[in-house]
Amino acid sequence: MNTFDLFSLKGKVALITGGRAMYGKGCTVALADAGAKVYLASHSVEAAQDYVNELRANGGDVEAIAFNQRDVKSIDAMVREVVEKEGRIDVFVHCSRIIPKGTGIGWFQDEAQLTDDVNVNSAASLYMTHIVGEQMIKQGSGSIVTFGSMMGLVGVEKHNYDGEPGMGDGAYGHAYALCKSGLTAWVRNAASYYGRYGVRINAVCPGGLESDRTPPIFKKNYSDHTQIGRLANGDDIKGPLLFLASDASAYLTGLSIPVDGGYTCM
Amino acid sequence: MSVLDRFSLKGKKALVYAPQFEFGTDVASGLAEAGAQVWLCGEDKAALDAAAAEMAAAGVPAAGVHEYHQGTEEAAQALAAFVKSEMGGLDVYVDNGAQQHMTGWVHSYEEICRSFERAQLGLMLTVKNLGTILAEQGSGSVIFLTDYTALVGCDVHNYKDCPEEFEKDFSVDNSYIKGSYVNYARQAAGYLGEANCRCNAIAFGPKAGTKPESFNEAFIKHSHIRHLASAEDVKGIAVFLASDASAFITGTTIPVDGGYTAK
Repeated sequence: MNTFDLFSLKGKVALITGGRAMYGKGCTVALADAGAKVYLASHSVEAAQDYVNELRANGGDVEAIAFNQRDVKSIDAMVREVVEKEGRIDVFVHCSRIIPKGTGIGWFQDEAQLTDDVNVNSAASLYMTHIVGEQMIKQGSGSIVTFGSMMGLVGVEKHNYDGEPGMGDGAYGHAYALCKSGLTAWVRNAASYYGRYGVRINAVCPGGLESDRTPPIFKKNYSDHTQIGRLANGDDIKGPLLFLASDASAYLTGLSIPVDGGYTCM
Repeated sequence: MSVLDRFSLKGKKALVYAPQFEFGTDVASGLAEAGAQVWLCGEDKAALDAAAAEMAAAGVPAAGVHEYHQGTEEAAQALAAFVKSEMGGLDVYVDNGAQQHMTGWVHSYEEICRSFERAQLGLMLTVKNLGTILAEQGSGSVIFLTDYTALVGCDVHNYKDCPEEFEKDFSVDNSYIKGSYVNYARQAAGYLGEANCRCNAIAFGPKAGTKPESFNEAFIKHSHIRHLASAEDVKGIAVFLASDASAFITGTTIPVDGGYTAK
Protein backbone atom coordinates (compact mmCIF):
# COMPACT_ATOMS: atom_id res chain seq x y z
CA MET A 1 0.00 0.00 0.00
CA ASN A 2 1.21 3.44 -0.89
CA THR A 3 1.86 5.52 2.20
CA PHE A 4 -0.58 8.19 1.06
CA ASP A 5 -3.32 5.56 0.92
CA LEU A 6 -3.02 5.19 4.69
CA PHE A 7 -4.51 8.66 5.01
CA SER A 8 -7.47 7.88 2.78
CA LEU A 9 -10.96 7.65 4.25
CA LYS A 10 -12.54 6.34 1.06
CA GLY A 11 -15.44 4.02 1.87
CA LYS A 12 -15.52 5.17 5.50
CA VAL A 13 -18.36 6.83 7.34
CA ALA A 14 -17.49 9.81 9.50
CA LEU A 15 -19.68 11.65 11.97
CA ILE A 16 -18.58 15.06 13.19
CA THR A 17 -20.23 17.33 15.74
CA GLY A 18 -19.49 21.03 15.67
CA GLY A 19 -18.14 20.74 12.16
CA ARG A 20 -19.25 24.00 10.62
CA ALA A 21 -17.39 26.63 12.63
CA MET A 22 -14.08 27.37 14.29
CA TYR A 23 -11.78 24.32 14.33
CA GLY A 24 -14.62 22.06 13.24
CA LYS A 25 -14.81 23.70 9.85
CA GLY A 26 -11.31 22.57 8.93
CA CYS A 27 -11.99 19.10 10.32
CA THR A 28 -15.01 18.62 8.09
CA VAL A 29 -13.00 19.68 5.04
CA ALA A 30 -10.26 17.22 5.95
CA LEU A 31 -12.72 14.32 6.32
CA ALA A 32 -14.42 15.18 3.03
CA ASP A 33 -11.17 15.73 1.15
CA ALA A 34 -9.97 12.32 2.33
CA GLY A 35 -13.01 10.68 0.74
CA ALA A 36 -15.23 9.87 3.73
CA LYS A 37 -18.99 9.99 3.67
CA VAL A 38 -19.38 12.79 6.21
CA TYR A 39 -22.34 13.45 8.47
CA LEU A 40 -22.05 16.96 9.81
CA ALA A 41 -24.13 17.20 12.98
CA SER A 42 -25.20 20.72 13.76
CA HIS A 43 -27.71 22.38 16.06
CA SER A 44 -28.90 24.24 12.99
CA VAL A 45 -29.23 22.08 9.89
CA GLU A 46 -30.32 25.15 7.94
CA ALA A 47 -27.20 27.06 8.91
CA ALA A 48 -25.03 24.05 8.13
CA GLN A 49 -26.60 23.53 4.72
CA ASP A 50 -24.73 26.40 3.06
CA TYR A 51 -21.46 24.92 4.22
CA VAL A 52 -22.54 21.45 3.12
CA ASN A 53 -23.40 22.80 -0.33
CA GLU A 54 -19.98 24.43 -0.54
CA LEU A 55 -18.26 21.15 0.33
CA ARG A 56 -20.39 19.23 -2.14
CA ALA A 57 -19.47 21.72 -4.87
CA ASN A 58 -15.86 20.76 -4.19
CA GLY A 59 -16.62 17.04 -4.52
CA GLY A 60 -17.31 16.22 -0.89
CA ASP A 61 -19.93 13.65 0.11
CA VAL A 62 -21.39 15.54 3.04
CA GLU A 63 -24.79 15.52 4.68
CA ALA A 64 -26.10 17.72 7.49
CA ILE A 65 -28.02 16.16 10.34
CA ALA A 66 -29.70 17.70 13.37
CA PHE A 67 -28.03 17.64 16.74
CA ASN A 68 -28.33 19.61 19.95
CA GLN A 69 -25.72 18.92 22.62
CA ARG A 70 -28.10 20.19 25.30
CA ASP A 71 -30.64 17.49 24.43
CA VAL A 72 -29.78 13.85 25.10
CA LYS A 73 -32.63 12.64 22.88
CA SER A 74 -31.10 14.49 19.97
CA ILE A 75 -27.72 12.91 20.70
CA ASP A 76 -29.29 9.44 20.65
CA ALA A 77 -31.18 10.29 17.45
CA MET A 78 -28.03 11.58 15.75
CA VAL A 79 -26.13 8.35 16.36
CA ARG A 80 -29.14 6.22 15.49
CA GLU A 81 -29.70 8.07 12.22
CA VAL A 82 -26.16 7.51 10.97
CA VAL A 83 -26.16 3.85 12.00
CA GLU A 84 -29.56 3.26 10.35
CA LYS A 85 -28.42 4.87 7.12
CA GLU A 86 -24.89 3.50 6.92
CA GLY A 87 -24.80 0.57 9.29
CA ARG A 88 -21.60 1.84 10.87
CA ILE A 89 -19.56 4.78 12.08
CA ASP A 90 -15.88 4.47 11.24
CA VAL A 91 -14.74 7.88 12.42
CA PHE A 92 -16.25 10.05 15.11
CA VAL A 93 -14.96 13.58 15.55
CA HIS A 94 -16.38 15.45 18.52
CA CYS A 95 -15.50 19.11 18.49
CA SER A 96 -18.75 20.78 19.50
CA ARG A 97 -19.10 22.65 22.74
CA ILE A 98 -21.59 25.14 24.08
CA ILE A 99 -20.93 28.55 25.58
CA PRO A 100 -22.30 28.13 29.09
CA LYS A 101 -25.14 30.40 30.17
CA GLY A 102 -24.56 32.56 33.21
CA THR A 103 -23.28 35.86 34.48
CA GLY A 104 -20.16 35.24 36.55
CA ILE A 105 -16.65 35.76 35.24
CA GLY A 106 -13.27 34.16 35.87
CA TRP A 107 -12.81 32.78 39.38
CA PHE A 108 -16.32 33.99 40.17
CA GLN A 109 -18.12 32.00 37.47
CA ASP A 110 -21.62 31.47 38.81
CA GLU A 111 -23.40 28.21 39.55
CA ALA A 112 -25.51 28.39 36.38
CA GLN A 113 -22.42 28.62 34.17
CA LEU A 114 -20.57 25.85 35.93
CA THR A 115 -23.64 23.61 35.86
CA ASP A 116 -24.16 24.21 32.14
CA ASP A 117 -20.51 23.47 31.46
CA VAL A 118 -20.54 20.26 33.49
CA ASN A 119 -23.87 18.96 32.16
CA VAL A 120 -23.29 19.79 28.51
CA ASN A 121 -19.59 20.13 27.84
CA SER A 122 -18.51 17.33 30.20
CA ALA A 123 -21.42 14.94 30.68
CA ALA A 124 -23.02 15.14 27.22
CA SER A 125 -19.63 14.90 25.53
CA LEU A 126 -18.73 11.83 27.53
CA TYR A 127 -22.15 10.31 26.93
CA MET A 128 -22.13 10.76 23.17
CA THR A 129 -18.55 9.56 22.81
CA HIS A 130 -19.18 6.40 24.76
CA ILE A 131 -22.37 5.50 22.88
CA VAL A 132 -20.51 5.90 19.59
CA GLY A 133 -17.81 3.76 21.17
CA GLU A 134 -20.38 1.04 21.84
CA GLN A 135 -21.30 1.06 18.15
CA MET A 136 -17.64 0.80 17.18
CA ILE A 137 -17.19 -2.13 19.57
CA LYS A 138 -19.98 -3.94 17.69
CA GLN A 139 -18.16 -3.23 14.45
CA GLY A 140 -14.79 -4.25 15.85
CA SER A 141 -13.17 -1.11 14.51
CA GLY A 142 -13.29 2.68 14.57
CA SER A 143 -11.39 5.81 15.37
CA ILE A 144 -12.60 8.48 17.76
CA VAL A 145 -10.99 11.90 17.74
CA THR A 146 -12.15 14.20 20.47
CA PHE A 147 -11.22 17.77 21.25
CA GLY A 148 -9.17 18.57 24.30
CA SER A 149 -7.37 21.87 24.53
CA MET A 150 -3.97 23.17 25.39
CA MET A 151 -5.93 24.73 28.28
CA GLY A 152 -6.44 21.20 29.52
CA LEU A 153 -2.68 20.70 29.60
CA VAL A 154 -1.45 23.89 31.26
CA GLY A 155 -2.88 26.59 33.48
CA VAL A 156 -3.69 30.01 32.12
CA GLU A 157 -1.01 32.63 31.41
CA LYS A 158 -2.71 35.81 32.54
CA HIS A 159 -0.14 38.02 30.85
CA ASN A 160 -1.51 36.93 27.50
CA TYR A 161 -4.34 39.32 28.30
CA ASP A 162 -2.18 42.30 29.20
CA GLY A 163 -3.67 45.31 27.45
CA GLU A 164 -7.05 43.57 27.14
CA PRO A 165 -8.50 43.81 30.66
CA GLY A 166 -11.91 42.53 29.56
CA MET A 167 -10.36 39.24 28.45
CA GLY A 168 -8.08 39.12 31.47
CA ASP A 169 -10.99 39.22 33.89
CA GLY A 170 -12.05 35.83 32.61
CA ALA A 171 -8.61 34.26 32.81
CA TYR A 172 -9.11 32.31 36.01
CA GLY A 173 -12.32 30.51 35.07
CA HIS A 174 -12.82 27.04 36.53
CA ALA A 175 -14.75 24.82 34.17
CA TYR A 176 -12.86 24.84 30.90
CA ALA A 177 -9.51 23.81 32.38
CA LEU A 178 -11.14 21.20 34.61
CA CYS A 179 -13.29 19.62 31.89
CA LYS A 180 -10.52 19.49 29.31
CA SER A 181 -8.13 18.05 31.90
CA GLY A 182 -10.59 15.28 32.68
CA LEU A 183 -11.00 14.54 29.01
CA THR A 184 -7.27 14.01 28.54
CA ALA A 185 -7.19 11.40 31.31
CA TRP A 186 -10.39 9.80 30.08
CA VAL A 187 -8.97 9.36 26.58
CA ARG A 188 -6.13 7.30 28.06
CA ASN A 189 -8.47 5.08 30.04
CA ALA A 190 -10.94 4.78 27.16
CA ALA A 191 -8.09 3.77 24.86
CA SER A 192 -7.25 1.01 27.29
CA TYR A 193 -10.89 -0.09 27.43
CA TYR A 194 -11.51 0.06 23.67
CA GLY A 195 -8.16 -1.32 22.54
CA ARG A 196 -9.29 -4.93 22.88
CA TYR A 197 -12.09 -4.26 20.41
CA GLY A 198 -10.01 -2.65 17.68
CA VAL A 199 -11.30 0.82 18.52
CA ARG A 200 -8.90 3.73 18.93
CA ILE A 201 -9.43 7.04 20.67
CA ASN A 202 -7.20 10.08 20.67
CA ALA A 203 -7.57 13.78 21.29
CA VAL A 204 -6.24 16.88 19.65
CA CYS A 205 -5.45 19.73 22.02
CA PRO A 206 -5.46 22.90 19.94
CA GLY A 207 -4.20 26.28 21.01
CA GLY A 208 -5.80 29.66 20.30
CA LEU A 209 -7.38 30.08 16.87
CA GLU A 210 -7.01 33.43 15.16
CA SER A 211 -10.17 35.03 13.90
CA ASP A 212 -11.16 38.47 12.62
CA ARG A 213 -12.23 39.24 16.21
CA THR A 214 -8.86 38.50 17.80
CA PRO A 215 -7.56 41.67 19.50
CA PRO A 216 -4.10 42.60 18.10
CA ILE A 217 -2.51 42.94 21.54
CA PHE A 218 -3.71 39.47 22.53
CA LYS A 219 -2.45 38.12 19.23
CA LYS A 220 1.02 39.49 19.95
CA ASN A 221 1.09 38.40 23.60
CA TYR A 222 -0.11 34.89 22.83
CA SER A 223 2.10 34.45 19.79
CA ASP A 224 5.13 35.31 21.92
CA HIS A 225 4.29 32.28 24.06
CA THR A 226 4.39 29.86 21.14
CA GLN A 227 7.46 28.34 19.53
CA ILE A 228 6.13 28.98 16.04
CA GLY A 229 5.26 32.58 16.83
CA ARG A 230 1.62 32.79 15.83
CA LEU A 231 -1.94 31.77 16.66
CA ALA A 232 -3.42 28.80 14.82
CA ASN A 233 -5.20 29.22 11.53
CA GLY A 234 -8.07 27.14 10.21
CA ASP A 235 -5.80 24.83 8.24
CA ASP A 236 -3.53 23.81 11.12
CA ILE A 237 -5.96 21.25 12.49
CA LYS A 238 -6.57 19.44 9.20
CA GLY A 239 -3.39 17.35 9.12
CA PRO A 240 -3.46 16.18 12.76
CA LEU A 241 -7.18 15.42 12.51
CA LEU A 242 -6.86 13.34 9.36
CA PHE A 243 -3.81 11.56 10.71
CA LEU A 244 -5.69 10.48 13.85
CA ALA A 245 -8.89 9.64 11.97
CA SER A 246 -7.18 7.46 9.38
CA ASP A 247 -5.20 4.23 9.35
CA ALA A 248 -2.03 6.30 9.18
CA SER A 249 -2.26 6.34 12.99
CA ALA A 250 -3.39 2.71 13.35
CA TYR A 251 -0.92 2.07 16.19
CA LEU A 252 -1.68 5.27 18.10
CA THR A 253 -4.27 5.37 20.84
CA GLY A 254 -4.80 7.20 24.12
CA LEU A 255 -2.89 10.27 23.03
CA SER A 256 -3.72 13.92 23.51
CA ILE A 257 -1.70 15.71 20.87
CA PRO A 258 -1.10 19.42 21.36
CA VAL A 259 -1.69 21.35 18.14
CA ASP A 260 -0.60 24.63 19.62
CA GLY A 261 2.50 25.89 17.85
CA GLY A 262 4.60 24.73 20.78
CA TYR A 263 2.73 26.73 23.42
CA THR A 264 2.73 23.90 25.95
CA CYS A 265 6.33 22.85 25.45
CA MET A 266 7.88 25.94 26.98
CA MET B 1 14.18 28.03 61.59
CA SER B 2 15.14 24.39 61.22
CA VAL B 3 14.04 22.76 58.02
CA LEU B 4 12.03 20.32 60.12
CA ASP B 5 10.05 23.23 61.54
CA ARG B 6 8.88 24.02 58.05
CA PHE B 7 6.95 20.75 58.03
CA SER B 8 5.09 21.64 61.21
CA LEU B 9 1.38 22.44 60.98
CA LYS B 10 1.12 23.72 64.55
CA GLY B 11 -1.51 26.45 64.80
CA LYS B 12 -2.93 25.61 61.34
CA LYS B 13 -6.53 24.70 60.59
CA ALA B 14 -7.34 22.05 58.02
CA LEU B 15 -10.57 20.79 56.48
CA VAL B 16 -10.75 17.39 54.75
CA TYR B 17 -13.66 16.58 52.43
CA ALA B 18 -14.83 12.95 52.12
CA PRO B 19 -12.31 11.44 54.56
CA GLN B 20 -13.98 8.04 54.54
CA PHE B 21 -12.69 7.17 51.10
CA GLU B 22 -9.27 5.70 50.35
CA PHE B 23 -6.44 7.98 51.53
CA GLY B 24 -8.76 10.46 53.33
CA THR B 25 -8.41 9.34 56.94
CA ASP B 26 -4.68 8.81 56.52
CA VAL B 27 -4.30 12.34 55.20
CA ALA B 28 -6.44 13.78 58.00
CA SER B 29 -4.46 11.84 60.61
CA GLY B 30 -1.17 12.93 59.08
CA LEU B 31 -2.14 16.58 59.20
CA ALA B 32 -3.22 16.18 62.82
CA GLU B 33 0.01 14.37 63.73
CA ALA B 34 1.90 17.32 62.27
CA GLY B 35 0.05 19.65 64.62
CA ALA B 36 -2.96 20.89 62.65
CA GLN B 37 -6.48 21.12 63.98
CA VAL B 38 -8.43 18.99 61.51
CA TRP B 39 -12.13 19.16 60.68
CA LEU B 40 -13.87 16.57 58.52
CA CYS B 41 -16.72 17.27 56.12
CA GLY B 42 -18.84 15.33 53.65
CA GLU B 43 -22.29 14.03 52.80
CA ASP B 44 -22.39 10.96 55.03
CA LYS B 45 -22.55 11.96 58.70
CA ALA B 46 -22.14 8.38 59.93
CA ALA B 47 -19.03 7.95 57.79
CA LEU B 48 -17.62 11.23 59.10
CA ASP B 49 -18.20 10.09 62.67
CA ALA B 50 -16.52 6.78 61.91
CA ALA B 51 -13.50 8.57 60.41
CA ALA B 52 -13.35 10.84 63.46
CA ALA B 53 -13.51 7.80 65.74
CA GLU B 54 -10.66 6.19 63.83
CA MET B 55 -8.57 9.33 64.27
CA ALA B 56 -9.41 9.49 67.97
CA ALA B 57 -8.42 5.85 68.42
CA ALA B 58 -5.10 6.66 66.78
CA GLY B 59 -4.52 9.47 69.29
CA VAL B 60 -5.12 12.34 66.89
CA PRO B 61 -8.76 13.35 67.38
CA ALA B 62 -10.51 15.50 64.81
CA ALA B 63 -11.51 19.00 65.90
CA GLY B 64 -14.99 18.44 64.51
CA VAL B 65 -17.16 17.05 61.74
CA HIS B 66 -19.51 18.96 59.47
CA GLU B 67 -22.15 17.56 57.13
CA TYR B 68 -21.62 19.05 53.68
CA HIS B 69 -23.62 18.09 50.61
CA GLN B 70 -21.35 19.23 47.81
CA GLY B 71 -22.87 20.31 44.51
CA THR B 72 -24.60 23.67 44.94
CA GLU B 73 -23.50 27.25 45.44
CA GLU B 74 -25.74 27.54 48.47
CA ALA B 75 -24.07 24.56 50.15
CA ALA B 76 -20.57 25.81 49.29
CA GLN B 77 -21.38 29.24 50.71
CA ALA B 78 -22.71 27.62 53.87
CA LEU B 79 -19.48 25.63 54.16
CA ALA B 80 -17.49 28.86 53.79
CA ALA B 81 -19.61 30.40 56.55
CA PHE B 82 -18.91 27.37 58.76
CA VAL B 83 -15.18 27.76 58.11
CA LYS B 84 -15.28 31.40 59.18
CA SER B 85 -17.60 31.13 62.16
CA GLU B 86 -16.93 27.67 63.59
CA MET B 87 -13.38 26.90 62.51
CA GLY B 88 -12.21 30.49 62.83
CA GLY B 89 -10.32 30.35 59.53
CA LEU B 90 -8.69 27.89 57.15
CA ASP B 91 -5.10 27.12 56.20
CA VAL B 92 -5.40 23.79 54.40
CA TYR B 93 -8.25 22.37 52.34
CA VAL B 94 -8.07 18.75 51.19
CA ASP B 95 -10.54 17.42 48.61
CA ASN B 96 -10.94 13.64 48.52
CA GLY B 97 -14.02 13.56 46.31
CA ALA B 98 -12.32 11.78 43.44
CA GLN B 99 -13.00 8.34 44.85
CA GLN B 100 -16.77 8.70 44.43
CA HIS B 101 -17.55 7.42 40.97
CA MET B 102 -19.81 4.90 39.27
CA THR B 103 -19.19 1.27 38.38
CA GLY B 104 -19.23 -0.06 34.81
CA TRP B 105 -18.61 1.51 31.42
CA VAL B 106 -22.06 2.13 29.93
CA HIS B 107 -24.33 4.62 31.68
CA SER B 108 -27.23 6.91 30.85
CA TYR B 109 -26.74 10.62 30.37
CA GLU B 110 -28.65 11.27 33.59
CA GLU B 111 -26.33 9.03 35.58
CA ILE B 112 -23.25 10.71 34.16
CA CYS B 113 -24.76 14.12 34.92
CA ARG B 114 -25.48 13.23 38.53
CA SER B 115 -21.95 11.97 38.98
CA PHE B 116 -20.38 15.08 37.44
CA GLU B 117 -22.63 17.48 39.30
CA ARG B 118 -21.29 16.16 42.56
CA ALA B 119 -17.70 15.55 41.53
CA GLN B 120 -16.94 18.36 39.09
CA LEU B 121 -19.52 21.05 39.83
CA GLY B 122 -19.25 20.45 43.56
CA LEU B 123 -15.48 20.59 43.45
CA MET B 124 -15.42 23.88 41.56
CA LEU B 125 -17.98 25.56 43.81
CA THR B 126 -16.14 24.41 46.92
CA VAL B 127 -12.76 25.54 45.65
CA LYS B 128 -14.17 28.88 44.52
CA ASN B 129 -15.72 29.63 47.91
CA LEU B 130 -12.96 28.27 50.14
CA GLY B 131 -10.22 29.55 47.82
CA THR B 132 -11.70 33.01 48.13
CA ILE B 133 -11.30 32.79 51.92
CA LEU B 134 -7.65 31.75 51.51
CA ALA B 135 -7.03 34.53 49.00
CA GLU B 136 -8.52 37.13 51.33
CA GLN B 137 -6.20 36.09 54.15
CA GLY B 138 -3.20 35.84 51.81
CA SER B 139 -2.10 32.31 52.65
CA GLY B 140 -3.20 28.71 52.42
CA SER B 141 -2.81 25.41 50.64
CA VAL B 142 -5.40 23.48 48.61
CA ILE B 143 -4.68 19.80 48.03
CA PHE B 144 -6.55 17.49 45.67
CA LEU B 145 -6.35 13.76 46.30
CA THR B 146 -6.59 11.73 43.12
CA ASP B 147 -4.90 8.57 41.90
CA TYR B 148 -2.66 7.20 39.22
CA THR B 149 -5.53 6.87 36.73
CA ALA B 150 -5.36 10.65 36.38
CA LEU B 151 -1.96 10.17 34.77
CA VAL B 152 -2.20 6.88 32.86
CA GLY B 153 -4.99 4.63 31.66
CA CYS B 154 -5.79 1.52 33.66
CA ASP B 155 -4.03 -1.59 32.38
CA VAL B 156 -6.60 -4.24 31.44
CA HIS B 157 -4.01 -6.94 32.09
CA ASN B 158 -3.89 -5.99 35.78
CA TYR B 159 -7.50 -7.14 36.15
CA LYS B 160 -7.21 -10.58 34.62
CA ASP B 161 -8.34 -12.35 37.80
CA CYS B 162 -10.53 -9.66 39.35
CA PRO B 163 -13.45 -8.69 37.07
CA GLU B 164 -15.25 -6.79 39.85
CA GLU B 165 -12.28 -4.50 40.22
CA PHE B 166 -12.24 -4.06 36.44
CA GLU B 167 -15.84 -2.79 36.50
CA LYS B 168 -14.91 -0.31 39.20
CA ASP B 169 -11.78 1.14 37.65
CA PHE B 170 -13.17 1.05 34.12
CA SER B 171 -16.27 2.98 35.08
CA VAL B 172 -16.97 5.58 32.43
CA ASP B 173 -16.58 8.55 34.78
CA ASN B 174 -13.62 7.34 36.86
CA SER B 175 -10.63 8.70 35.00
CA TYR B 176 -12.57 11.74 33.76
CA ILE B 177 -13.20 12.79 37.37
CA LYS B 178 -9.74 11.89 38.59
CA GLY B 179 -8.02 13.48 35.62
CA SER B 180 -9.93 16.72 36.10
CA TYR B 181 -7.82 17.51 39.12
CA VAL B 182 -4.53 17.62 37.25
CA ASN B 183 -5.02 20.71 35.17
CA TYR B 184 -7.55 22.20 37.56
CA ALA B 185 -4.70 22.33 40.08
CA ARG B 186 -2.66 24.28 37.55
CA GLN B 187 -5.54 26.60 36.72
CA ALA B 188 -6.54 27.25 40.35
CA ALA B 189 -2.87 27.83 41.17
CA GLY B 190 -3.09 30.93 38.95
CA TYR B 191 -5.76 32.74 40.91
CA LEU B 192 -4.55 31.51 44.28
CA GLY B 193 -0.92 32.30 43.47
CA GLU B 194 -1.68 35.99 43.11
CA ALA B 195 -2.71 35.86 46.78
CA ASN B 196 0.26 33.78 47.93
CA CYS B 197 -1.85 30.63 48.16
CA ARG B 198 -1.09 27.28 46.56
CA CYS B 199 -2.92 24.41 44.90
CA ASN B 200 -1.49 20.96 44.19
CA ALA B 201 -2.70 17.42 43.60
CA ILE B 202 -1.45 14.02 44.72
CA ALA B 203 -1.89 11.02 42.43
CA PHE B 204 -1.65 7.97 44.66
CA GLY B 205 -1.10 4.41 43.66
CA PRO B 206 -3.49 1.93 45.32
CA LYS B 207 -3.15 1.63 49.07
CA ALA B 208 -2.17 -1.73 50.49
CA GLY B 209 -5.18 -3.76 51.56
CA THR B 210 -7.70 -2.11 49.27
CA LYS B 211 -7.47 -4.24 46.12
CA PRO B 212 -7.48 -7.99 45.34
CA GLU B 213 -4.13 -9.72 45.68
CA SER B 214 -3.94 -10.58 41.97
CA PHE B 215 -4.27 -6.90 41.11
CA ASN B 216 -1.69 -5.95 43.71
CA GLU B 217 0.82 -8.40 42.29
CA ALA B 218 0.31 -7.09 38.76
CA PHE B 219 0.55 -3.46 39.89
CA ILE B 220 3.72 -4.03 41.90
CA LYS B 221 5.25 -5.91 38.99
CA HIS B 222 4.96 -2.71 36.95
CA SER B 223 6.28 -0.45 39.74
CA HIS B 224 9.82 0.48 40.68
CA ILE B 225 9.22 0.11 44.43
CA ARG B 226 8.02 -3.35 45.30
CA HIS B 227 5.07 -2.58 47.53
CA LEU B 228 1.79 -0.65 47.50
CA ALA B 229 1.27 2.66 49.29
CA SER B 230 1.27 2.54 53.09
CA ALA B 231 -0.46 4.94 55.46
CA GLU B 232 2.91 6.59 56.09
CA ASP B 233 3.43 7.10 52.35
CA VAL B 234 0.07 8.89 52.21
CA LYS B 235 0.69 11.02 55.30
CA GLY B 236 4.16 12.17 54.27
CA ILE B 237 3.21 13.77 50.98
CA ALA B 238 0.08 15.36 52.48
CA VAL B 239 2.02 17.03 55.29
CA PHE B 240 4.66 18.17 52.79
CA LEU B 241 2.12 19.85 50.51
CA ALA B 242 0.11 21.31 53.41
CA SER B 243 3.15 22.81 55.10
CA ASP B 244 5.60 25.60 54.41
CA ALA B 245 8.14 22.97 53.38
CA SER B 246 6.50 23.16 49.94
CA ALA B 247 5.97 26.94 49.98
CA PHE B 248 7.32 27.36 46.43
CA ILE B 249 5.46 24.42 44.91
CA THR B 250 2.13 25.05 43.22
CA GLY B 251 0.14 23.76 40.27
CA THR B 252 1.73 20.31 40.42
CA THR B 253 0.40 16.78 40.51
CA ILE B 254 2.80 14.56 42.40
CA PRO B 255 2.62 10.81 41.71
CA VAL B 256 2.96 8.76 44.91
CA ASP B 257 2.74 5.37 43.29
CA GLY B 258 6.04 3.59 43.76
CA GLY B 259 7.06 4.59 40.26
CA TYR B 260 4.16 2.89 38.47
CA THR B 261 3.59 5.89 36.19
CA ALA B 262 7.31 6.45 35.72
CA LYS B 263 7.68 3.60 33.27
